[in-house]
Amino acid sequence: MTVVPTTPRLIDRRDLLAALDRAAASKVTIISAPAGSGKTSLLRAWVGRAGRPHRLALVQVQRDQNDAQQFWLALLDAVRRATGANSDAELSAATPDFNGYAMVDRVLSELAEAQGGVTLVVDDLHELHPPEIPAQLTRLLTNLPPNVHAILATRHDVRLGLHRLRLAGELAEIRAVHLRFSERETRELLEASGVALSAAGTALLHQRTEGWAAGLRLAALSLIGHADPERFVAEFSGSDRTVAEYLLAEMLDRQPPDVQNLLLRTSLLDRVNGELADLLTGRPGSEQILLDLEDTNAFVESFDPGRTWFRYHQLFADLLRLEMRRTLPAEIPALHRRAAGWFSRHGQAAEAIRHTQAAGDWPEAAQLLADHAFNLTLDGQAQTMQALLQAFPPGADHPELALVHAMGDLAHGRLDEAAAHLVVTETYAETTPPGRQHSLHVAIASLKLSLARRRGHLAGVIEQVRFLASPLTGWSDEDLALGSDLRAVALMNLGTAEAWSLGVPDAERHLREAAALARRIGRPYLEVGCLAQLGFASIFHGAAMPKMEAFATTQRRCREAITLAERYGWGTEPVIAPALMTLTSTMVFLGEFDEADRWLRRTEQAVQTDTGPDIRLLLHQTVAILHACRGRHHEALEEFGAAEDLASQMEGSQALARQMTSWLLATQARLGLLGEARAALTALDDEWTSSGEIRNARAVICLAEGDPARALDALHDVLDDTAPVLGYVTLVEAHLLAGLAHRELGDQRAANQAAERALALADSDRLVLPFAMTGSAELLEALPRHQTSHAALLADILEVLHGSSSMAKEQSSFPPAKKLSPGELRVLRYLATNLSRPEIANELSVSLNTVNTHLRSVYAKLQVRDRSSAVRRARELRLLAARRTS
Amino acid sequence: MNPAPAPYMIRINGHLGATVLSAFPALAPQHHGAHTVLTGLLDRSALYGVLAEIEALGLDLLEIRRLAPERRSSEPGDSR
Repeated sequence: MTVVPTTPRLIDRRDLLAALDRAAASKVTIISAPAGSGKTSLLRAWVGRAGRPHRLALVQVQRDQNDAQQFWLALLDAVRRATGANSDAELSAATPDFNGYAMVDRVLSELAEAQGGVTLVVDDLHELHPPEIPAQLTRLLTNLPPNVHAILATRHDVRLGLHRLRLAGELAEIRAVHLRFSERETRELLEASGVALSAAGTALLHQRTEGWAAGLRLAALSLIGHADPERFVAEFSGSDRTVAEYLLAEMLDRQPPDVQNLLLRTSLLDRVNGELADLLTGRPGSEQILLDLEDTNAFVESFDPGRTWFRYHQLFADLLRLEMRRTLPAEIPALHRRAAGWFSRHGQAAEAIRHTQAAGDWPEAAQLLADHAFNLTLDGQAQTMQALLQAFPPGADHPELALVHAMGDLAHGRLDEAAAHLVVTETYAETTPPGRQHSLHVAIASLKLSLARRRGHLAGVIEQVRFLASPLTGWSDEDLALGSDLRAVALMNLGTAEAWSLGVPDAERHLREAAALARRIGRPYLEVGCLAQLGFASIFHGAAMPKMEAFATTQRRCREAITLAERYGWGTEPVIAPALMTLTSTMVFLGEFDEADRWLRRTEQAVQTDTGPDIRLLLHQTVAILHACRGRHHEALEEFGAAEDLASQMEGSQALARQMTSWLLATQARLGLLGEARAALTALDDEWTSSGEIRNARAVICLAEGDPARALDALHDVLDDTAPVLGYVTLVEAHLLAGLAHRELGDQRAANQAAERALALADSDRLVLPFAMTGSAELLEALPRHQTSHAALLADILEVLHGSSSMAKEQSSFPPAKKLSPGELRVLRYLATNLSRPEIANELSVSLNTVNTHLRSVYAKLQVRDRSSAVRRARELRLLAARRTS
Repeated sequence: MNPAPAPYMIRINGHLGATVLSAFPALAPQHHGAHTVLTGLLDRSALYGVLAEIEALGLDLLEIRRLAPERRSSEPGDSR
């Protein structure tokens, strides 16, 4: 897709190059002109000139590009090559959960770091079809760093939000009228091609083609070595036929039969190499023909440095294809079949499926697509896959495609549709021959797990799909490569589901096995995903074992996963979110609140495009405990509430739900919402109310009601280890609550003992969270230093508690909310979105100037310098959630 | 918006030959002077498909017009 600049073989169009030079001084230049106007030739000539001050990042969009990710990756690569970015530092690999806006930001940050100027060139923009592209490009183009320029070439105008650039005079356009050849240039083109034509003949040719570049070049090809050029031009001029068709026919006629044959047959391919051309023409020697064609005209060009892959000028290819369909229609399906076979043998599934469809072999195409659905997704070609799916004729019944539909539904969170498609797939699987049945069953099981995970309905499904953990039997040899992808995904889904339902040892075993398999088959995405989930699984593990520096182990695992993810450029992608989230949580548990803040930002970025209730629930939970630890109970309550809303959307109960409910009730009690807390407590079932977590919550409520004796009653079974607990954090919390109750009752000795027990349990992990959440600062301060064998931890905890409480006070005493006007608040809330300032203006139906004025005063009032810190500050001050608070 | 196909007339500069005409199988061609006039029944997506072909083949589009439906045409539902 990227293009190596080549030496122009065309005439030097000085005026046009100078025009482009002038245009390129603007921020953005758009070259918009019809097919064959010479856009690409102009770009090549301009790029190929020596002594350019700017470095170039050049991308030529592939024909019919339906995959936004492929485009952005190519652009990022081109930018990296241009800026000489350290290629070892970070790869840019495709991922199944691609976030276009995050990618735009990555491109922008690469550009910002580049030394000196960079010019971005995107050719054939009109071929880029994904609907999200215009908004993403707009974001790129309106945020280009100084000293970066962009040039876009397209056949038709593309709707980009460049209004602001246009007003600022930073948008230049080159259109068909500028690209038109002048008579002088026509003469120069003919002379450069060695064609001798009279002045009158040249004028006639210029007039007949109206200076259209493709027409002139086609004419020049026919005129080279022509016996009577004047007659050729006269006949052409006397004909009413369209320029391109007339000249193409002339040009083809002048080629030897083997060249004609090759051009027609290979026109069916978007790109061709010698081997493929040999296959399609049925004779050897094609590579030399292709090389000769590239050397003699501008319509065939290689696009790799080794000159092995070629493509045709689009207009030329389209005309050749029509000619092929008209003259040799019967051969076309067989040619597509041959091409499909070649691409299939060379591991290019998408291309193979496309040609199988073109051959009209729909059942085979459906089977191929179903077989490759998992690896296409893993290759980051989900959008391509969906485009292939759309290409099947409507109404045709291909039950194997239900599997592919289910995958697309799952990726977009359409869970009911996914379930329905899985039912169809299951019914279909019963009718397939045994050879295919096994892999279908594994695929179904894997998707079911993924669906169940998103719905929080795990236990039943895990039982059903235990067979995934059995070794590879029943695979045919050719299925093995395909099967490894499938199996690795299935094991990852199984392990993840087990982690969520607290089947920790099984989860760890399956995730490790999946990670090892992923590494063996070269699937870093899966490896990263497994390691991220392993980090997540081990936070439960850590909670159950107080004596093994469990939180430190969890943190180490998360950091390892994150480091690996960063190597592939996935440091803020959804795939790594479980590890980011878990790392953030452990920091809150260990009292590293500021560090937790930093990681929380990054986690939020990573889950931007993931709307699954599972991951969002964890996010709210983490934010909530961070607030609770800082004594910001109102904020904590809001976040716990949001988490509970999401939990109610999930079908089954997830393991951590009990913990969350406990903290929610305790927070209500601490805010004096005793009626609500009591009512919620009464509504819980016996299994929950007898658990350590809910008993702790009951104790908090009793304490808030001023009844410490009943609080001690509630804690009794937790303290003597008879109540079931999720982890030792619950025990630490129970001891602290008991200590608080004893203090209320005036029994300082018992309070000291309780505090000392809490410290003893917390020491190996240096756990801080329960001390902060229960507000135990005074309890700890009252503990005489000579009575504790955990003085160091005690000092640490007190330092954290004092630090965070003074910070909470300082921040809550900051009253800018009152100072912001309603207009400023409205603008402020849009800052947290992806919208650019002109888009915000548009949304609010005000002028860009108004938005800018508001922003300036918002920044001043919040005492921040930029958008992201304004958003952060606004979040801290809870200015973004207007409807909930006012 | 009426989703039913409607008759369209599309005028292109120059005479289209057999090769280029094969890109428009649903339309009937006629030469009018130095122009080619293509007519046929097109629904919206067919119409935009035709326009995309015209763009792809670099043709010079002169005019495009929706023709008044012929009276007593066999448009389904007309008689009810």
